Amino acid sequence: MGLEFLSRVRSSTLWLAVIAALMVANYAGWRMGLGLAAGVAWSLANLGLLERLIVVITGAERRTTLSARRAGWVLAGMLALFGAGAVLLGSLPPAALVAGFLVPYAVMMFKAVAALLLDSPLWARVTRSPWRSLALVAVVAVLAWAVAASLPSLGGASPAQEPQTQAAAPAAGDAAEPVAKPGSTGPEKFANVVSVLVKANPGKEWSHWLHRFEPVLFSLFVALLLSLIAFLATRKKQLIPGPLQNVVEYVVELLYDFVVGILGPHYGPRFVPYLGTLFIYILAMNLFGLIPFMDSPTSSLNVTVGLALCTFLYVQYTGIRELGALGYVDHMAGSPRSAISWCMVPIMLPVHLIGELAKPVSLSCRLFGNVFGEDMLLVAFASLGVATLSFMHSPVGIPWQFPFLVLALLTSTIQALVFTVLSTIYLLLMLPHEHHEPEEASQPVH
Amino acid sequence: MAKPPEEDAYSALRSAGLLLSIPTLLIVSPLAGFFLGVWLDRWLHSGPWLSIAGLALGFVAAGRETWLIYRRTLEDEKRLEQQKKKEK
Repeated sequence: MGLEFLSRVRSSTLWLAVIAALMVANYAGWRMGLGLAAGVAWSLANLGLLERLIVVITGAERRTTLSARRAGWVLAGMLALFGAGAVLLGSLPPAALVAGFLVPYAVMMFKAVAALLLDSPLWARVTRSPWRSLALVAVVAVLAWAVAASLPSLGGASPAQEPQTQAAAPAAGDAAEPVAKPGSTGPEKFANVVSVLVKANPGKEWSHWLHRFEPVLFSLFVALLLSLIAFLATRKKQLIPGPLQNVVEYVVELLYDFVVGILGPHYGPRFVPYLGTLFIYILAMNLFGLIPFMDSPTSSLNVTVGLALCTFLYVQYTGIRELGALGYVDHMAGSPRSAISWCMVPIMLPVHLIGELAKPVSLSCRLFGNVFGEDMLLVAFASLGVATLSFMHSPVGIPWQFPFLVLALLTSTIQALVFTVLSTIYLLLMLPHEHHEPEEASQPVH
Repeated sequence: MAKPPEEDAYSALRSAGLLLSIPTLLIVSPLAGFFLGVWLDRWLHSGPWLSIAGLALGFVAAGRETWLIYRRTLEDEKRLEQQKKKEK
């Protein structure tokens, strides 16, 4: 791992960039292709300079004149690179440049996932038997075919196909009807209680209201359901717990260990209620879309932005509470202690501000993108199931989406966990360093 | 409630969580800086300058956050090693 991993990412990105740039230049024009190639080159140069800077700062020769000179050269190179970026943004299509900029990060993520997968016992179990390997290849081939088949529909389904798709799906027995509005581009979400009511009562004032507040209503319903479960579990607490109390106690204990394990015994217990609730709430909202005639509120950006804003505000509040108002401002200004660092305050303050703002943006976009993508995958496979039997005018489609429901269970849990882990980490970065002394660990929690 | 868990048990998750936030921050910080700059440019009618400055500051913020997270992870690892040595 480490630098060797980065070098492999670089070589893979270069190959991918050359092929992608040629394809884009062929199909979308030479300016787009050139923009993509320039974006990749810029991103790779930026990563290379960052890598150099880290090596110079953390290497064995740090704090020598040579390393200081090298760091200076790297920083000068970065400044020149920013200038080149500004020129490129003005002369080439920004969309292609941004796409090219993201390519190395995509390669990095795919490589990391592949490394995790190849080392896992699951992969060893699958590849041990030739039949299992063959089944995996078949699944991947069907997946690729489905994605390729769904691509033309994204450009606009033909009017003849839309009513057929809508009419055939409900008999699959799981509300597997993608709601496709006339004139819309491609399949939308599965039908849910609210969308069915809105469709049955078009033009009514209350149906507009329902349609407008659909994610809010579903998220409130999930919150009510969770509150009811918590109420029922804690209504009659017993020393020898019943099944519901047992499950709730087990979940709470797991979340307590998880949060305290990351934040430490001094700060951890105070944040268990917020972070634990966040995990359970997000998990329940993610899974809610798998129930027929229900919808995942987290597939709406409004809900994920709301959740991320809660975390952002809580982190800032915790910072002010722990560091004090002046300490918080000092932290945001980069804790200046010398004349040079005081001169850097006008730069460090906006830098820190942007760093803090980036956190809720990344939290909300990641959760929304993953849950929405998962929903769209299920819709695409349900549509594919209907299309498969459409030649015999069958009212029932093949439920291709069923295997992916299991996958959705897994991804929903992972996304809830990632959101909670990152929220915990953002809190950890805002808190003062814990000293982990025995007497401090035994201090009461306030 | 349960007693505080063993610190070692979740140290891997803590490090993984810290490192997991790096790729997204590297991407989102420059974008956040750029769009903040675009918004300020529209508000102050200052041409592309604040957008470019926002983009540059976003890159600096990304680098700084990465550096802070990396340093924090190193400190955690060092502390754990010292603890293990003491226990031995």
